[in-house]
Amino acid sequence: MKDVLASLPALNERYSMFSCIASGADTEEPKFLFSAKDNLTSKDMETKCGSRILEGYRPAFDAAAVEKMRQYGGRLIGKNNMDGFGFGTFSTNSAFGVPKNPFDLERSCGGSSGGSACAAAVIEDHVSLGVSTGGSICCPASFCGVYGIAPTYGRVSRYGLIDYGNSLDKIGLLSSDPAALAEFLPVISGKDPRDPTSCAQPPLDLKGKRIGSVAVPEEALKGISKDVLSAFESSLDILRSMGVEVKRVSMPSLKYAMPAYYILATSEASTNLARYVGMRYGRQDGDLSLGFDDYFTSFRSEYFGDEAKRRILLGTYTRMAGFRDRYYAKALKVRLHVISSYKKVFEDHDAVLTPTMPFAAPKFEDISKMTPVESYSADFLTVPANLAGIPHLSVPCGYDEDGMPIGMQLAAAHWAEGPLLTFAEEWGSAFDVRRPEVPL
Amino acid sequence: MRIGLEIHVQLPTASKMFCSCPTTDADAPNTHVCPTCLGMPGSRPVMNRKALEYGIMLAKMLNCEIAETTWFSRKTYFYPDMSRSVQITQYDNPVGSRGTYMFQGKKPVRITRIHLEEDPGKTKRVGDQSSLVDYNRSGIPLAEIVTEPDLSTPTEAREFLKQLIADIRHTIDLPGDGERSIRCDCNISVGTERCEVKNVTGLRNVERALTFEAVRQTKVLRAGGKIERETRRFDEERGVTISVRKKEFEADYGYIDEPDLGIFHIGELARSVSIKESPAEAAARLSREYGIERKLADQIISTSTGLAAAFEHIAKATDAQTAASWTAGAVSAYWKTFETLKKGPEGIADIIRRFRGGEMTDVEADIELRAYMTGTDVRAIKDAGADLSQIVNGYLDAHPEIVGEIRKNEKAVNRVIGHVMKETGGKYSSADIVAAAKSALEARL
Amino acid sequence: MDKETVKKVAKTAHLALSDDELERYCKDLGEILDYFKVLDESPEGEGYGVDPVEIADILRDDVPGIFIDPYELLKDMKTYENYVRGPRLL
Repeated sequence: MKDVLASLPALNERYSMFSCIASGADTEEPKFLFSAKDNLTSKDMETKCGSRILEGYRPAFDAAAVEKMRQYGGRLIGKNNMDGFGFGTFSTNSAFGVPKNPFDLERSCGGSSGGSACAAAVIEDHVSLGVSTGGSICCPASFCGVYGIAPTYGRVSRYGLIDYGNSLDKIGLLSSDPAALAEFLPVISGKDPRDPTSCAQPPLDLKGKRIGSVAVPEEALKGISKDVLSAFESSLDILRSMGVEVKRVSMPSLKYAMPAYYILATSEASTNLARYVGMRYGRQDGDLSLGFDDYFTSFRSEYFGDEAKRRILLGTYTRMAGFRDRYYAKALKVRLHVISSYKKVFEDHDAVLTPTMPFAAPKFEDISKMTPVESYSADFLTVPANLAGIPHLSVPCGYDEDGMPIGMQLAAAHWAEGPLLTFAEEWGSAFDVRRPEVPL
Repeated sequence: MRIGLEIHVQLPTASKMFCSCPTTDADAPNTHVCPTCLGMPGSRPVMNRKALEYGIMLAKMLNCEIAETTWFSRKTYFYPDMSRSVQITQYDNPVGSRGTYMFQGKKPVRITRIHLEEDPGKTKRVGDQSSLVDYNRSGIPLAEIVTEPDLSTPTEAREFLKQLIADIRHTIDLPGDGERSIRCDCNISVGTERCEVKNVTGLRNVERALTFEAVRQTKVLRAGGKIERETRRFDEERGVTISVRKKEFEADYGYIDEPDLGIFHIGELARSVSIKESPAEAAARLSREYGIERKLADQIISTSTGLAAAFEHIAKATDAQTAASWTAGAVSAYWKTFETLKKGPEGIADIIRRFRGGEMTDVEADIELRAYMTGTDVRAIKDAGADLSQIVNGYLDAHPEIVGEIRKNEKAVNRVIGHVMKETGGKYSSADIVAAAKSALEARL
Repeated sequence: MDKETVKKVAKTAHLALSDDELERYCKDLGEILDYFKVLDESPEGEGYGVDPVEIADILRDDVPGIFIDPYELLKDMKTYENYVRGPRLL
């Protein structure tokens, strides 16, 4: 493990996966090493959430998930680079360099937990904490060829999580080893009186039944790249050979998930980001003799990134008097509809199976040409499960002709993480995962 | 003239609404703070059970419909004292709505809603350079009571508020300095458009601010002007209201639900919470049930609810008229001491029942009562018959009409002086007797 | 979405936009809202929408306590005599 610690600066130079690296010598050999997305607070490391506005924030407390990993004997080696506040699909919206895909440095790691997926792919025996609001664990897991799980909303305490969308944010895990997910999810799960939303959960049942049947919604196979589609089709054969029943279904409600998700996420985000006004924490270097409205405005305009501004504007609009009913209030009711349509499918099937992303990791030059709507639409497969707050898992399931990883995603009923974790281990022994070459 | 009030009451919890920071006065600024009430990234709110219970109790007191399920909302606005730039408050489904509160036993005032929210911190100006903020108050639980514009004059608004505050204090055991911890937004319209005077503290200021506004609006309308809908503030020193912002510049709060707290099924809790009879209700009931004057009922209740209970005991043992005159007289006179003894009112009722049955004279009954209520021996009182206040009290009890006469004309006190001089053979100076008579009178209602 | 609306939204959100940004966000938000139109035809579900799973009646007892030293929390803030310094009030 000492080797890993020594190699971190060089690894980070190459991949930009951390926004902060642990320093200082170990007093004792830790049981394992882990990293945490930089929207989880850490007592000993600056927590910037991918945004300049939080530069200098030294939290006085560890996030519950970080605290539990430490108590379990882990050592936090760094804070994973990310899209500012989690706003993005490619981690290109970080103010602290863009993490590079370990399979091709010209390509994206995915986002917003890009640094977490990169660390999981590059570092041996590594587990990283990620956070998913609309797909931010499964997307980068898919692009970097690792396993990633986002549990049920409320399964892992959000104490110490810097909020994006409070009714959507979920803390989960990424690793190249499927067994690590099963080992560490119980560690970070559980009721925490500091986060009321964690207190409604039933116990995590790992001995639960295996996944015997999956439903593949036909809506999820439209607008998918040829390579992803063929990798997905071959995976279905492997599944059948494992004894899993595969059924095609129709879920028309999926198309409503995207707008409902973006409305709820940005409405909530715009209120969460209202607190960043150049007082109390983070950057505070403005001119206090300005009137408070002008001070706040100039500060926010200078330090929020482009995507943060776009989502603040969108989310402020969708909850404004006069528009609130059409957008925000409607989106809440549509979420309930999406949840009930999932419940219906789970009456007959153990999981909903889709590809994770519609394409393999894109090149940065192609990403820069995307319009906001194009990049938002890239999340259309990960968003529905996130909106519904149901647990979902991405597993590597193939490689395109450039050798870029492709992933598929299984979403299960609320609180049914057990079958997903069992499946991940089963899949691990049925499918050969490739590791990227790390020349260090 | 139509006046409606929005009353903010700090709830007397021991810890803040969403964090465990103490609500007591702090020695220095920003010492009763934590990541939650400072709004630090990564912090989270957790709802205080007691604050929710107080909200339900007040909703019941105001005869509101209590929601089966309630939840919180985020109101977004930017100000240095608002640590998250978001106030957790209630928007949809507040704790209570559509209530009625009976003013002075005869005028129903409609209650629009009652909701719970958190207090912001406090700001301080330092010259023109910057502001200073103390977040010790940030997160103190508040109940906001919103009335319909059912009040007609500034004086009525003040009297209404006085009664309401007494009832609130009684219902949730709000400490005696409660008036400072109650703030009020006053809506007033003389014509058709209303103005809101924000953040007025204290009963007197509410009346002053409203009176100023009523005069101002009347003048504007008489001069053919138009009242603009706006928010104003009250300058306590100058006694005037000043325009803060016009309606069209009002912030858009963009309310959304607060997911961090979840929802609360309070219907069952509300059914299990019982509240004490409020002072205003108790006074109205005494007056109705026993046929005593409302003014006397108010006086009995405002002395203490224990005195009201004693009155009811006496009335049951004798009759309402006897109970009224003894409660207003001797029983009130000895009440303060009696309360420290922690005895029941049954003994009092028994003495008066015996007097009523002809077992003793009024002077004897007074001595008995005094002994029972002040914890002294009857013989000691009789022996100390020369004791000045005893003589004065005995005389006043035997001649209750004098009390009223003295109130009307101070000179009537001469009759007391003459009586005492005769009884004691000039042992006391007339100044002493006047003083004793005055304190005896003050102890009576 | 027209420029006046975007300006009003930006003012509410305390963001100052350059002409260039105004132009760009106007176009972006317009496209995004067009993309949201499908929502109008969506069926609606039953229940309370606050959270995706029901989180009900989670309450804390009213017991005061301070668990993190307030001076530790103030260490990186701009302060004056333990007050937090903020911008000028109007």
